Amino acid sequence: MTLFVAERVDKLFPGVRALDGVTLALEAGSVHALLGENGAGKSTLIKVITGLYRPDGGKLLLDGSEVAFGSPHESAAAGIGVVHQERNLIPGFTVGENILLQKLPTSRGLVDRAAIRSEASRWLAELDLDIDPDQPVTELSVAQAQLVEIAKALSVESRVLLLDEPTASITPNEADRLFRVVDKLKNDGRAVLFVSHKLEEVFQICDTVTVLRDGSSVLESGALADLTRDQVVDLMVGRVHEALSLPPRTVDRSVDPLLELSGVSTATGHADIDLAVRPGEIVGLYGLVGAGRSELAKALLGLDRITAGEVRIRGRAVRIKNVRDALRNHKIGYVTENRKEEGVFLEQSVSRNIAVTIWDRLSKLLGYVPAKAESALVARYVEQLGIRIASPAQLAGTLSGGNQQKVSLAKWLAAQTEILIIDEPTVGIDVRTKDAFHTLIWDLAANGLAILLITSDLPEMITLADRVVVMRDHRVQGEVANDHDYDRMSQQVIRLIHAERAVA
Amino acid sequence: MSAPVSETATAALQEPDQPPAQRGGKTPWWANQRIGLLVLVVLLATLFGVLRPAFFNQQLVVFPLLRDIAMFTVVGLAQLCVLSIGHMNLAVGRMAAFSMMITGISYDLWHFSLYAGLLVGLIAGAAIGALAGWVIARTGVNSFVVTLALDFLLLGLIPLVYTGLTDNAAFVTKPDGMREMRNYSLADICIGNVCGSPAVPQLALFAVIAMVVVGWIYSRTKLGRELLMTGTSVKAAELSGIPTARRVITAHAMSGCLAALAGFMLAVSTGSIKATIGEEFMLPSFLGPILGGTLLAGGFISVWGTLLGTALTSVIRKGLDLLGVGLESLNIYLGLILLVALSTDRIRTVLSERQEVRQR
Repeated sequence: MTLFVAERVDKLFPGVRALDGVTLALEAGSVHALLGENGAGKSTLIKVITGLYRPDGGKLLLDGSEVAFGSPHESAAAGIGVVHQERNLIPGFTVGENILLQKLPTSRGLVDRAAIRSEASRWLAELDLDIDPDQPVTELSVAQAQLVEIAKALSVESRVLLLDEPTASITPNEADRLFRVVDKLKNDGRAVLFVSHKLEEVFQICDTVTVLRDGSSVLESGALADLTRDQVVDLMVGRVHEALSLPPRTVDRSVDPLLELSGVSTATGHADIDLAVRPGEIVGLYGLVGAGRSELAKALLGLDRITAGEVRIRGRAVRIKNVRDALRNHKIGYVTENRKEEGVFLEQSVSRNIAVTIWDRLSKLLGYVPAKAESALVARYVEQLGIRIASPAQLAGTLSGGNQQKVSLAKWLAAQTEILIIDEPTVGIDVRTKDAFHTLIWDLAANGLAILLITSDLPEMITLADRVVVMRDHRVQGEVANDHDYDRMSQQVIRLIHAERAVA
Repeated sequence: MSAPVSETATAALQEPDQPPAQRGGKTPWWANQRIGLLVLVVLLATLFGVLRPAFFNQQLVVFPLLRDIAMFTVVGLAQLCVLSIGHMNLAVGRMAAFSMMITGISYDLWHFSLYAGLLVGLIAGAAIGALAGWVIARTGVNSFVVTLALDFLLLGLIPLVYTGLTDNAAFVTKPDGMREMRNYSLADICIGNVCGSPAVPQLALFAVIAMVVVGWIYSRTKLGRELLMTGTSVKAAELSGIPTARRVITAHAMSGCLAALAGFMLAVSTGSIKATIGEEFMLPSFLGPILGGTLLAGGFISVWGTLLGTALTSVIRKGLDLLGVGLESLNIYLGLILLVALSTDRIRTVLSERQEVRQR
């Protein structure tokens, strides 16, 4: 039974036709995948369905009758629940209050806490979640928060559930838990729309698929059972997509490491961390979310205190005070995982975003920065990384995710760093741009940079890393030399994650 | 090791069939906020001139009007400096009073010359501003709270010092040249036979200097860029190697210094250095920059906009005054006109966006 249809929907933005006659049909008791590269129109379609945007053409049908939502409130009332790509839990509130936010139970005008607790518990139980409704949401892990958002979406008695990249920032194990929940929703007869960049997941849990490209649907409700992974990728990319092949690259093991940690403990709970990265080497840091990988990077940069052990750079023991110190005195760059908040200045021009690290070097008397030298440098990196912009004055916030990430990386290349810590470089980035990034990181290493790569994307890790260091609970579990054989490597890495740690 | 990226990577990174997302590449000229303000100022000035020809009287109206605009522009710039990092300075008036107190002491007790006293005042302003910035950077407490507290502190301290040092809550010593500075216009500055306009007060030169310096800092220097980046996102700025704590202190020091300059201009034009200097600074300090397009949230400033925004409010005030609107109802009209000005600005933006859609 078809629950919901978006029929030939158009959406226009200044200068862009974001959606062009897109049709999408969601069946009860079925999981429907929505695929497409960044900028293909997936999020726009979801925003049209939920009433955040008004369509400029076409119509929406719920249970066969036409509907028009003026706001997300109206679509929620009609039974369409949504989990957006961005986290939408309100920090100061409890799990229960967040779940029931759209219709807080009240008695005589006051919020009824007991009712919140019992009502929220019901929805958490529905998803088999063992989370206390009185817990503040700030105490939740990323994956738990994700599941609470689903409970929130369900709480409006929704029969149609839209999940926009729910697995972008959680690990495979946590994702499995999410998939069990999705399965349950499907068996309960709900219609689920699942947006993801991870094709493995799509093939694992979805029944049908719609593929968007440049705002139009190139495949409408195809059965996934009849499709191969390659076919789907080709549809998304619009041409035959070849598996990435990288030229051979060897690491000279006799060279001293550029960056070396021995017995490092930190204020954030790391203990006894040993790690070494040589020039020209990519060392992967793998682990579950919460294993303390990004925190380790931040401690290295002086953002958290190192309580014991030694950090050596180019053989000399150092104590890094802050990012400025790391950059100026040690030539270390950090490409953050949190692109939108820490990586790029969304309301500033692309030019300033890239030049931010080089003003020190360019500035003359009284801090004067010659505009010509600045724009020449910026232009060079825009060209080399293939950043797609109308002009360097364009605001970074108007770029696609992939281009923003390139900008975030470009500033460290412009600063001529020799050690790069790259944290989750391709989260939420489409297949083709991902390949380009992998080639880029590979080339950076080939040119002698020492790269510490933090990623939860196992295929990415196995494509790029020379060695994979596995972390759990803020400790190093062990290390695997990478032979780039996916099956063997993934087994070894996963086994290492779950291995009992040898008692010292 | 510059740009270690090979040809293959460059080729792989091209995305030929994806149009770059862009927003408002070229906005029509009438959507420019500054031009809108300029038109509005000219229109209102013309209107007032037609209704009351006395509005164009050089000596009695234009001269003091320009002196007001100059002073409040500097006040606006003082606020603009902290707005650029997304902060506020609620003590902007009291910082002016504090600086002028130090200047007054320097004239009265130490017999400093006019400009030496100004310099001492500017340094005092920068110091008190830096103190505010230091507390904010060190404690992480919101600038609103810190400057509010500082405002109260100075509110108590300043009269105390005045009562201790003076008889009538004002410093009486007037250094040489102060009276001339108040009354002289550009007509008193001649190059050969060509003299300036008698309608433009010499005091306005201070505002011009302040505008040039602040404009230069924000558009041409590392400091200005770093302030704007800090204002856009402290987190991203810190993680890009900008010393954000130091920039917070710098911004507040600049603010204090400009507040001191405005205080000096007020002291010169009223002819006395007293405890109440700067009391009327706080609201106008926000009006000018905000009307001119400077963002409250930080990251974008406009020096020209500050001048035009200040000019707009001053022209309205003066015009209504000449039309005989009483002080009580004057503020009502002023509020209404400002609301209209801000709404038309929003309408212009929306219209220009729509037009852009249609053109594609």
